[in-house]
Amino acid sequence: MSTHKKNRHVGIVGIGQTEYSSHKEHQNQAEMVNEAVRNALADAKITLDDIDCVVHGNMELFEMVHQPDMWHSLGSGAYGKDEFRITTGGTTGSSLVCTADSLVASGMYDVVMAIGLEKLQEGHTTGGITNMADPLWFRHLQTGALTATTATLMIEEFGEERAKKAAMKYRILMDKHACLNPRAHRRFGLEYDQMDDLMNTSPRLVGELRLSHMCSQSDGACAVIFASEEKAKKLCKNPVWVRDHITVHREETFNNFGIERPETTHHYAARKLFERNGIKNPVDYFDVFEMYDPSAWWGLDWLRDFFLLKNDEHLKMLERGDFDLDGKIPINPSGGVIASNPIGATALLRPAEAALQIRGDAGPQQIKKEVRHALASGFGGTLWTVLIMLEKYLDW
Amino acid sequence: MKRVAICAVAQHKCESNIWYKRFQAMLLDVLEDIQAQTGMTFDEDTGVHTIVSNSDDVFDARTISDNGMTDVLGAHYREEEKAAQDGLNALGYAMAIILSGHADAVYVAGHSKESQSESRNMCTNLAYDPFYGRPMGLDYLNVAALQARAYAEKSKLTKEQLAKVVVRARQWAARNRFANVTTQVELGEVMYSPVLCDPIRTLHAYPVSDGAVGFLLASEEKAKEFTDTPVWMTGYGSCMDSYFLGDRDPAGNFALRKAAERAYKMAGIKNIKKSANLVEVMDCYAYQQPMWLEGLGFCSDGKGGKFIDDHGPAQYNVNLSGGMLAGNPLIVGGLYRAAEIVLQLKGNAGEHQASDVTCGVAQSTTGGAGQFHTVAVFEA
Amino acid sequence: MAEYFGAAVADIFNTMEQRFIPEGTKGVDTVIGYNVSGEGGGYWRVTIKDGAIKVEKLDAAPTGCAVVLNAKAETFVGVTLGKMDAGEALASGNLKVDGDITILITVLPKAFNKFTPIVKARTIVETMKERFRPDKAEGVAMKLGYDLAGEGGGKWTIAVKDKTCILKEGLDSDCSVVLKMTAQTFVDLNTGKLDGATAFTSGQVKIDGDIGAAGNSAKLFAKFDTGEEKAKGEELISLKCLPAINQRYATGPIMGKWFAGLKEKKLYATRCPSCGRVQTPPREICADCRVRSEEFVEVGPNATVTLVDIVHYASPDPLTGKIRETPYAALFVVMDGAGKDQSFSHFLNPKDFSRIKAGLKVRPVWAKERTGNYEDLLCFEIDD
Repeated sequence: MSTHKKNRHVGIVGIGQTEYSSHKEHQNQAEMVNEAVRNALADAKITLDDIDCVVHGNMELFEMVHQPDMWHSLGSGAYGKDEFRITTGGTTGSSLVCTADSLVASGMYDVVMAIGLEKLQEGHTTGGITNMADPLWFRHLQTGALTATTATLMIEEFGEERAKKAAMKYRILMDKHACLNPRAHRRFGLEYDQMDDLMNTSPRLVGELRLSHMCSQSDGACAVIFASEEKAKKLCKNPVWVRDHITVHREETFNNFGIERPETTHHYAARKLFERNGIKNPVDYFDVFEMYDPSAWWGLDWLRDFFLLKNDEHLKMLERGDFDLDGKIPINPSGGVIASNPIGATALLRPAEAALQIRGDAGPQQIKKEVRHALASGFGGTLWTVLIMLEKYLDW
Repeated sequence: MKRVAICAVAQHKCESNIWYKRFQAMLLDVLEDIQAQTGMTFDEDTGVHTIVSNSDDVFDARTISDNGMTDVLGAHYREEEKAAQDGLNALGYAMAIILSGHADAVYVAGHSKESQSESRNMCTNLAYDPFYGRPMGLDYLNVAALQARAYAEKSKLTKEQLAKVVVRARQWAARNRFANVTTQVELGEVMYSPVLCDPIRTLHAYPVSDGAVGFLLASEEKAKEFTDTPVWMTGYGSCMDSYFLGDRDPAGNFALRKAAERAYKMAGIKNIKKSANLVEVMDCYAYQQPMWLEGLGFCSDGKGGKFIDDHGPAQYNVNLSGGMLAGNPLIVGGLYRAAEIVLQLKGNAGEHQASDVTCGVAQSTTGGAGQFHTVAVFEA
Repeated sequence: MAEYFGAAVADIFNTMEQRFIPEGTKGVDTVIGYNVSGEGGGYWRVTIKDGAIKVEKLDAAPTGCAVVLNAKAETFVGVTLGKMDAGEALASGNLKVDGDITILITVLPKAFNKFTPIVKARTIVETMKERFRPDKAEGVAMKLGYDLAGEGGGKWTIAVKDKTCILKEGLDSDCSVVLKMTAQTFVDLNTGKLDGATAFTSGQVKIDGDIGAAGNSAKLFAKFDTGEEKAKGEELISLKCLPAINQRYATGPIMGKWFAGLKEKKLYATRCPSCGRVQTPPREICADCRVRSEEFVEVGPNATVTLVDIVHYASPDPLTGKIRETPYAALFVVMDGAGKDQSFSHFLNPKDFSRIKAGLKVRPVWAKERTGNYEDLLCFEIDD
C-alpha cells in the first residue's frame, strides 16, 4: 500500500502548557496562547524565528469569536509566518497533531508549532456543545455531552455493584494521578475508601452519570513544536517521534443506541491502526495511554475498545491495578480529561503528556519504568476518535 | 518532491439565496459531480479515506460545522478534518497530506451561505476583539473601506479604473455558468452606485452569495485511476499580517508578498510574469483586484491603476470566472478561485476558456483587510 | 472559636438576617437545613417565607427541610467566601446535598448579600508585628499597651526597641502608655470607621501614660489592611454580552418532508437504494453507501425503547432559554420499520416517568396544532 509510508519522520521537540483552571481572568485569550507558546519555545530552546508555520485550533463558538486565529496572532507568534487553522470539535487538539505531522512530513515545512486552547469561562460550555446539533431538529433535545447510556449498558452487562464500583475506582484513580500533576485543574485528593460513598451520594447528572464522574470545564492552552527528523535531531537530544495516527468520524446523527449497535470509532481506529503497524497485543506493546476520557464511565468502557479486549477484561485490569501509575499499562498519568478540560487544547494535552512520559520529564506524574511506546486519543463530535502513536526511538 | 494532482473539481452554482437546499444537499451535488467525473469511491481499502472539509462555525451558526456534513463528505468511518480558514488553505493542507505519504488521495469540500445569517457583517464583526474592535463596530466591510482609501491614494486609483474592474468582472461572469451575478453594468452605473461604506460603493462589493466546491486530489500515481488530465498543484504559501490595523501598512501587501514568494519558490518559479498566464484573485471589493495583483507581482508596486488602464488583467487572464466580484461566499472564495484555474488548465472552462494557459495562480484572504493571505500555483 | 479564612461558621449564620434581601425571595417558601461538621460547626435551619427569614440554631440534625447542605466547616466557610469552588466541592464529595439541590442554586444567590468576614480585634493586634516599620523606629524604645474590653477583647503589650518589635499577651507593668477602649472601638479605628481624634475627644479611647508616645506610635506601624482595599483593586469588571445574529436555516426538501410529515402525524424516513437502510430522521444520503437516498418510507408511529436517560441536570433549552424541569426522561427508541441500528431520541411524557424502562413500546404524542416544526412532536408515551 502506498499510503501510510511516511515521506520523512517527524519529532516533537518542544512542549509548553499553561496551568488549567476556571479562573484565568488575568489573561485575555491572546495572552493565554502566548504563555503556552513561550513555554514551548523555552522547552525546545528555540525562538520564533525557527518556526515555519503555526497550526491553531479551538472551538470558537464557546468564546464567540470569529476566526480567532487572527486575534490570537498577537500571542501565537504567527506574524509573518504560514498558518493553518484546523477545528474538529473535541478532537481538535489531536487533529492539530495530525496536521502538524502531515505538514512536516510533507517537506513543505521543517518546524511547525501546534497551538490548542480554550477559555470556557468566556462563554457557555453546555450551550456551546448543544449548538453542534442540527438547528432544526435535535438542538431542542440535546443536553451538551451528558448521557448515562454507557452507564446503563455497563450495569446491564456487569451488574450494578461491580459496574458502579469500577467507574468510581477509575474516577478516583484519575484523581490520584491528577494530584501529582501541578498543572491539573481539579485535584480533589480522593481516597478509595470514599468509593462507596461517592458512587451513591454524588449528585446525579443523568442516571448513574454523577457529578463526580464528569470532566471539568477548564481554561488553558498547550503548544507543541514538531520538526523534521534532521532538524529534530539537531535541536533536541530526545525528540519524541510521531509514528502514526488515524482519525475516524461517524455520521451526523447520534444513532448508536438502537437494537444493534455499530462498531465504535474507538474500536475501528484501534483495529486499523494496530493492524497496519503490526501490533498484535496493544496492552503489552504500549507503556502508557493518555486517553481522552470525558467521564469515568466512558473512559472505562472505551478502554475495552481501544485495547481490543473482550468481556470484562478491562474491569479485571482496573481491579488488578494494571492502570495505576506503576501498573502494567498506566492510564492518564496526567489525570486525564476529568481533571482538566480546556476543550480546544484537551486533545492536544493527551499526546503532549504522553510525549513528556517518553522524554522522562513528566514531573511528579512520571512513570518510573522506561516509556518507549505511547498511545494518545482524542474524542469529540458525533463520537469521533483520533488515535496517535508516539515512539521514543526511530526503530519501527 | 512528489507531485500532487488535482483530479477533478466540482462547483455548485453560486446564488444569492439558496433557501431551497440545506448545506448537505449542496455538498451532495458536488460529491456526485466528482464521483461522475472520476469514479472515486470511499471503499475502505481502495478508495478515498481522508477528507478535508472547509466551513465556518460562525457563518453556519453551528458548533463543529462539519459534524452535520459527515455523511455527504463520505466521512463515515473515515478521516476528516475541518480547515477553518478560507478554503485555499484546505487545498494546501490536502497537498501536505499527500506529500507526507499519509494518504494518496484526499477529497476536499467546502460550503458557505452568506444568506443564512441576517448580516455577514455582523458575523465578521465577531472577528474583532471584544474590548476595542467589536464595540467600535469594525467588520470586514468597513476595514476594507479603510484599506480601499489607503490603496487608492498610494496607487492613484481613479473612480473610472475601479469601475472598469467591475464592468469587466460582469462581462466574464456572464460566460461562467457557476457565477452568481451576471447582469452587465456600465462605467457610470458603477461609479455612481450608492455608497455602501465610503469609499466602497454597492457595485464595488461582492454580492451576498451561497455556494459549495469540491476537489479530488491525489498523488501522481493514484491520480491515473481518476483522470487523464491531472492539474498539478505545484506551489503553496501563506502569511499572517498584524491583527490591529494601526500596526499594519494598510496598502503594503506585506502578507501577500510573502505568501506569494513562498508559493512561487515551492513551484520553482523565478519570474511570475513570465511563468503564469492565468490568475484568480479574491476580490471581495473592486480595489482588491489591482491591489492583490501588485502583491502577487503581476504589476509593479503602486501601479495598480495604470495596470488596469493598460489592460493588465486581460493580459494575464485575471479572474475569467468573474472573480469574487461576481459573487462567491466568504470562506470558500479561495476554493472558487482554484476551481476556475483547474477548469481552465484542464480545458473545461467552456465559454470562458482562455487559450494556451499552462500555469495559474490562485489567491485568497482570511481575516479583515487581508490580514492573512494564501497563494497557490497550479500547472497543466 | 475555630476560624477558616478569617471567619467562623457561626458568623455566617449570625449575619444572615442582616444580609437577607426580602425582595429577592418573592414567591419563595422553603426550609433549608445545614449540617456543618468539625470544629466550629453545628446544625442550623433557615426558613424563608413571605419575604421573611428565620434562622434557628439546633442541637440536632435539621429535619423537615426541603434541602440539607452537609459540609465540613472549612469547606462551608470556603465556599461561602468564594475561596473554594462550590462545583468542585460537590464533585469531590466535600459538599453533599440531600434533597432539592436546585433550591440552593436558585434561592440562595438572590436571598442574601455576600458574607464578608468580620474583622476581629485580636487579628488586628496580631498583625502589628508584620506591620511594624523598623525604618521609622530609629532610636525608639517604648512599650505600648492595649487594654481592649468587651467581647473579642484582651490585653497585649508591644515592646519596641532596637528597631525590633515584640508582641505578647498581657499588660506589662512598665508600659510607656496604655490605650484603653472596647474591642469594637479598636476595630472601628483600624478599619477606618472611626477617626482617632473623635475617638479620643469623645472619651471612647482612654490613654494612661505618655500621650506623646501614644501619638508617635502610630507611625511605627503600617495601616491595617482590611482586605477590602485589596478586593477593590482586584475587582473584576465583567462585561456580559449576548451576541445575537438571526439565522434563516434551510430544511431542503428531504428534511422538509420530515417536518411536513409531522403536520400529518406521520414519521418519515429515507431508504438507501443500495443497502436498504432506513434512516430516521431522513437525510439526503446513506452514510454507509454514500448514495443519494430519496425514497421516503413511513416509519412508526410506534417505537421500541432501547435505552432511557433520566436527566437530573437542569440545563437551559438552547432555543428558548427556559430551564427544563428535572428530573425528566429522554428516550432512545427504534421506530417500527426503521433499521435496527437507527436509534431516534426524544423526551418521555412525564406522566410515564415512574413506569418507563427499556423494551417497552411507545407511541408519539402530538401537539394539537401542528405547523411543521420541532414542536409538533411533543414526546413519546407508553403504548398500552
